[in-house]
Amino acid sequence: MPLADALSYVPGLMTRPAEPDADRAALVRLVEWCGRYSPWIAPDPPAENGGAGITIEITGCAHLWGGEAVLAADLSRRLARPHGAGDGISHRIAIAGTLGAAWALARFAAAAGEPAIPPPERLREALAPLPVEALRLDPATAAGLHRVGLTRIGDLYPMPRAALARRFGDEVARRLDQAAGAAPEPLSPLGEAPTRRVRLSFAEPIADPADLAAATERLAGDLTGWLAREGVGARRLDLGFHRVDGRVEHIRLGTARPSRDPAHLADLLQARLDTIDPGLGVEDMILAAYTVETLGAEQADVLNLGLAPPLVGESQGTGLRTLAPLIDRLGAQLGHQALARLEARESHLPERASAPAAIAESQKILPLPPSAGGDGRVRGIGEKQRPHPPIAGAMGPSLSRNAGEGFKPPRPVRLFRPPEPIEAFWLLPDDPPFRFAWRRRRHLVARADGPERIAEEWWRPDAAGAAPIVRAEAIRDYYRVEDAEGRRFWLFRAGLPGHDPPPRWYLHGVFA
Amino acid sequence: MPGAVALAALRSQIRRIERPAAGLHGVLPFGAAALDRALPQGGLALGAVHEILGQGGDEEDGAAAAGFAAGILARLGRFPVLWCLKRPDLYGPGLAANGLDPARLVLVSESRDERLLWAVEEGLRTGHGAGLAAVVGEIGALPMVASRRLQLAAERSGVTALLLRRWRSGAEAAAERGRPSAAVTRWRVSSLPAAAVVDERGAGEPGIGRPRWRVELLRCRGGRPGSWEVEAADATGHVCISAELADRPAAPRQTYPSPLRRAG
Repeated sequence: MPLADALSYVPGLMTRPAEPDADRAALVRLVEWCGRYSPWIAPDPPAENGGAGITIEITGCAHLWGGEAVLAADLSRRLARPHGAGDGISHRIAIAGTLGAAWALARFAAAAGEPAIPPPERLREALAPLPVEALRLDPATAAGLHRVGLTRIGDLYPMPRAALARRFGDEVARRLDQAAGAAPEPLSPLGEAPTRRVRLSFAEPIADPADLAAATERLAGDLTGWLAREGVGARRLDLGFHRVDGRVEHIRLGTARPSRDPAHLADLLQARLDTIDPGLGVEDMILAAYTVETLGAEQADVLNLGLAPPLVGESQGTGLRTLAPLIDRLGAQLGHQALARLEARESHLPERASAPAAIAESQKILPLPPSAGGDGRVRGIGEKQRPHPPIAGAMGPSLSRNAGEGFKPPRPVRLFRPPEPIEAFWLLPDDPPFRFAWRRRRHLVARADGPERIAEEWWRPDAAGAAPIVRAEAIRDYYRVEDAEGRRFWLFRAGLPGHDPPPRWYLHGVFA
Repeated sequence: MPGAVALAALRSQIRRIERPAAGLHGVLPFGAAALDRALPQGGLALGAVHEILGQGGDEEDGAAAAGFAAGILARLGRFPVLWCLKRPDLYGPGLAANGLDPARLVLVSESRDERLLWAVEEGLRTGHGAGLAAVVGEIGALPMVASRRLQLAAERSGVTALLLRRWRSGAEAAAERGRPSAAVTRWRVSSLPAAAVVDERGAGEPGIGRPRWRVELLRCRGGRPGSWEVEAADATGHVCISAELADRPAAPRQTYPSPLRRAG
């Protein structure tokens, strides 16, 4: 009814503007809080003929609370507690064997304070007295059923399916089957479902950091014990703190290698405890493992880099341990994207030949073999040595003389990504520059080596996936130049001299 | 001779009092006699903090310093190295030219100095158990307190720390480079013009030969500061004093004829 009519019926009516987004967000927060019962939780958005709700799949969880009725009572009690600014949340609870039946019973059978928990064998009888709207049908279909006199679900049971389908479509039969359990209806949980979960509930909410740390250790011990029995190690963990006011805080962690060392995991989690605000108190802590990988007993101690500390005169009675715990600690504090290895790849382009690759993506921390690809520079097609021009200072004899002997051209210690544009002045188009300006400083070139030609890799498709052609500006001639003070730089000319547009000069790196 | 034995015992006692923890973990000699002579116990102290600075434009890029560090790390063994830096401009093949296998590195990128120092300290504290050979940190601002903590952590665990000082601007460099620190040695490495290229007949040719550095030992606890011109670290990580220019002795002291004359 319109607001004006409502106000005329009840003059003292309190009104607020609707905030559907805030309502949705609040519903999601409540759903997250219900994660203390089970990780399979999903919100039910408000429908035409039923209010907003939450679905929790408690298969296999009810025994932890002493039965379904006790679980319902516990949920009811906690929801009725004053939360935040409100007086508690009014609610109705139903527990049934199928999602459809639970939905229907919660909205049309249960009453506040009286959860509807029919015994499983009496599900059909429990559903029979409910109106057909309880089947989650759209209003037109429900109205159509009413018009022909089918007002209760029980009226639909004896009707022939074919007739129903012909008149009202497949929807009615499908919803009926879902409610009765003849058709499957899985729950799509909110967020990822963890593979293993341990929970610690406190009789009194705790907020002291020392208590939280002790509880973290206990949870880590429980989870790792479970993982050890199964022979797996955790890669991703989530520690959830359920506060008394209904909010949930999380610590999310990843490890470089699967781990089930309780001390190590507890350390990583405790290092981030200061990011958690316990508010008025935490009543549940739930540690969930999302990704696990097999980790045999002997692997738990494996050396991944084959090491002994190189100290002189130290006898190593202590066992050799791996680099992974240190990497985990650094990653937990600085973010796992901050850690990388220098990976060598087969590529002519220097910036691709050796680039930092985040450790989180790589599966193992093994050293790359020192041979092929170790320096990242493989001679092959696409590189040409220009003939020795008769101009002094232009060409390094070392390059021409040793070409083809597995010679590795020199590479700088620092490489700028992307290359920095410079202003270069040259005498002849094929020459290295005699002067260049970089970062507003002028450098006079005393000696130069080069050129070394590196062309684009024409066998790689470009970003658009089109057939690649080698563009003139993608051809680089690299020069190693030394300025008057002795600093050595790696410059290149992008593009061929004499072409239009004129080639540009860049500084790619600095040599040691 | 009992006198000599007593003298040696006294010397070692004094050394222990002066630097209670120095030299506990051994030394890494450079293999160049002039450099090793200037360092206490004939080499770079392991399990300690060493600073390496650049000169001029290299204070911003840190290329020569990185090459010098790579040479040292190459000779420390085959074990992994934690390299903490602010700008991801380290290039593997260039390090390989100075002897360091880039597969040994674990890079930590962090833009803030305090967190970078924390990562270096974490590597020093636990690096021994993890099997780290050394930790390298490219640090801009290094307060004295932080450097002392790093030195203590290095002494306790035996992991060597090389701090490459890199600054973003000349002004920051001018302010920071004079600041004292608790590092055991402080070096400055700058690039020098490379050796000339000679062909088989001995004639000079255009091009750039073996690169050269000026390596200066600015501060050394228990050693003698000095300056040397060396050939840059080769593929085994060794530097060697340039053949033409040996270790330059200190400038000769001016002697004036003494007004006092010996009788007779």
